Amino acid sequence: MKRKIAGFLSLAMSMTLLFSGCGQSGLGGASKDLKASEVLAAANPEKLPQTAANRKDTLIIGFTAPEGKFNPIYSSSVDDSYVVNLVFEGLLTNDVQGNPIGKVAKKWDISEDNKTYTFHLNKGIKFSNGEELTAKDVEFTYTALCDPKYDGSRTDAVDKLVGYAEYNKGDAKTVTGIKVIDDYTISFTLTEVKAPALSSDFGYGIMNKTYYAFEKGNIEKLKESFLKPMGCGPYLFKEYKAGQEADFEKNPNYWDGVAKIDKVILKVTTSQTNIQGLSAGEVDMDRIGAAPENIQMLQSAGFIEMQLYPDNGYGYIGLNLKDEKLKDKKVRQALTYGLNRKGFIDARYKGYAEICNAPVSQVSWAYTDDINKYEFNPEKANQLLEEAGWLKKDDGFRYKDGKKFEIHWMTYQGSKYVEMLIPIVKENWKAIGIDVIPELMEFNTLCTKVYDEQKFEMYNMSWSLSIDPDPSGIFSKKQTELGGYNPGGWVNEQGEKLMADALKTTDQKERKKLYQEWLKIFSDDVPYVLLDQSKNMWAVSSRVKGISFSPYIDFTYQIAKAELVEPKAK
Amino acid sequence: MRQYITRRLLQMIPVLIGVSIVIFFILQLAPGDALTGKMDPKITPERKQELRHQMGLDQPVYKQYFRWAGGVLQGDFGESTNFKQPVGKVMNTYIWNTFIISLLSLILGVLISIPIGVVSATKQYSKFDGFFTVFALVGISMPSFFFGMLLIKVFAVDLLILPVSGMTTAGSTLTGISYGLDVAKHMLLPLIVLTLGSVAGLMRYTRSSMLEVIRQDYIRTARAKGLKEKVVIYKHALRNGLIPVITILGFWLPALFSGAFITESIFLWPGIGPIEIAAVAGRDYPLLMGINILFAVLTLIGNLIADVTYAVVDPRIRLK
Repeated sequence: MKRKIAGFLSLAMSMTLLFSGCGQSGLGGASKDLKASEVLAAANPEKLPQTAANRKDTLIIGFTAPEGKFNPIYSSSVDDSYVVNLVFEGLLTNDVQGNPIGKVAKKWDISEDNKTYTFHLNKGIKFSNGEELTAKDVEFTYTALCDPKYDGSRTDAVDKLVGYAEYNKGDAKTVTGIKVIDDYTISFTLTEVKAPALSSDFGYGIMNKTYYAFEKGNIEKLKESFLKPMGCGPYLFKEYKAGQEADFEKNPNYWDGVAKIDKVILKVTTSQTNIQGLSAGEVDMDRIGAAPENIQMLQSAGFIEMQLYPDNGYGYIGLNLKDEKLKDKKVRQALTYGLNRKGFIDARYKGYAEICNAPVSQVSWAYTDDINKYEFNPEKANQLLEEAGWLKKDDGFRYKDGKKFEIHWMTYQGSKYVEMLIPIVKENWKAIGIDVIPELMEFNTLCTKVYDEQKFEMYNMSWSLSIDPDPSGIFSKKQTELGGYNPGGWVNEQGEKLMADALKTTDQKERKKLYQEWLKIFSDDVPYVLLDQSKNMWAVSSRVKGISFSPYIDFTYQIAKAELVEPKAK
Repeated sequence: MRQYITRRLLQMIPVLIGVSIVIFFILQLAPGDALTGKMDPKITPERKQELRHQMGLDQPVYKQYFRWAGGVLQGDFGESTNFKQPVGKVMNTYIWNTFIISLLSLILGVLISIPIGVVSATKQYSKFDGFFTVFALVGISMPSFFFGMLLIKVFAVDLLILPVSGMTTAGSTLTGISYGLDVAKHMLLPLIVLTLGSVAGLMRYTRSSMLEVIRQDYIRTARAKGLKEKVVIYKHALRNGLIPVITILGFWLPALFSGAFITESIFLWPGIGPIEIAAVAGRDYPLLMGINILFAVLTLIGNLIADVTYAVVDPRIRLK
């Protein structure tokens, strides 16, 4: 059963977990909250199990559920993206703060009208088949994304390019917005200014044109090569045993400093036994749920270091603003004041999460502390409800025009998170006179009711965010239509304008100002009752040196510089 | 007999068509489709519609069915929406891992449970019988999840003699016999968990069926004729006692491929079970149809095999 739960949760979080690059070359300064990361050092680094110590040249990393879509334009799970990132490299990558930095591209220029991006590529980058990476390969990769038969989830990276529609829907032979200037220079022209373009669109791994060669419309050819990925990254793909492991060897011709670890294996593990696998030395690094009991088990092994960092995402309760009861702002504010979110987080995460007060990650440059925190305050909640005309009767519940205040809450089955949230919400809101009726259903059914049909009063889910803080994909007016991501129908004209303006400039300082203003409007309007921002944890064996996780950096960023050592006692 | 088998095989065709229609429409009744759960603001609602159109999900259900059925007639089961690979290829990748462990578990189960069941029946209410009755009860009631974790704790973590999970040692390049041994080492624990579940049931089944036969008049007659007890039990009683057991084994054929979700996911055995569950959660209709049609075919063949073996072990039954 547990596995199923994990499946649903990861679906709930399946958002933009993948790659995403950066902020903007303007730089808004490091976010202070990166400090929220902490490392619990290994107590007895020398207590390494024999199995691990014997594996001198091989690093084994745990992952969960690879799907075998090992292609930069198709991978859709975090696990597949690990494989892709070991083998491929994109034009840009990002630094610890999430700012874009060059990889294949050594530098880039943005035109005055902010619509044309010109990239200057590093010379001498070789694909592992020996060919040199040139602008033609970049053109090929981005043209593949425009293919009429392309059915992956990266279309947003190209659909604003000049000539996209002509190529995708029409007979055009090339995408006019992609221009190869010479072997090492390529430009992309957009039809409109897109502020997050650098951070979200130019990190996808570059595919070799002759290796992946396919004609327009024949995308099947790309799918046939899913299990034979070939790029210019630090590792060469060796073998994939479905459902078990993916094997890599270092790329002896890697252009950016040959990797120090000879072999890397990604091995499938499960949350039910991954701590056992680590303790037994079968795996060197794995992602473990941040919970006191897990930390204790890992600490008792002695040789395992734990790295904790805030998740780039949040959990929330979504409200339907078209509902008669919930369309009153005071009621929504009362619901937030009346919920002991700290109590929930302490019960669920036992210290390894924080209350979420803004729908952007605390690690983002757009975050601000200067907003209403909605501290748990039942009196205030009661007062707001009275003001809204909901009056308590003898049975303890509130009534207005003879109607009892009842909320039907749709949520998903099989999640510990939900199981702990339900009693707390029910009890807290009962105390302010509201009767909550939870309805549990399967996750996809919930999605249909909420997004496709918009037939709900209240639901709960979570978002994982990309590096760029633009919230318009979730909260814009456009997203209120059926199937959109703003099913609650929250539209605030001023907020709408702020979001639109922030997308029209690439100046990060300006955007930061706009987003902070937007956050205040959001916080006052309460379209969501925001819940928690949890922490992620990676457990790393003492024999691995040089890998440190943070919200925007996973192990694939540092693998080429990492080493395996013989740990000594402290 | 040949005529009978041919007729049964031909009968399967309309049955399968019916089954495929029913399954296809039942799957469609579930809310949502392959794109519902993909909540990524990077995929705009318009793009979702485009993708639905590409996959044909925006068409009426009957048209989708004909499109699917048309493909199947040409040997094309469609493309899995989760894996973006042909359904046959996805199933082929995982199903044999399931098959090999299920088959071994079945053989082991039969070898253990039938003798125990027979002996339990002949020595009803003895200590032997009592012990295995309790054993069967424990076996049936023990959740495989718990039992699996217990085995991992003891053998893989405390004693360090068996691996925690997987099918081969990570990064191993073994071939031939040493490869086989490596797989065997990984298979041992999941095999124990799977077999325990089947042994318990099959054993009780054999016991009760034998008990019934032993009380029959012809067994008393055989004894009265002065036949040796061994001959009475193993020649006269056993053959009749096993008939119902064989029916059960026939039904086991689809189970060999259907995968043990819990056991496979605890031990990370790369079988079809977890793939199936993910397909349900992700509304991967082509993959689900492929898997379900395979089970339907296997169930029908299993039934046929059961009927035929019936006739072989029991000469009173004539197939026409």
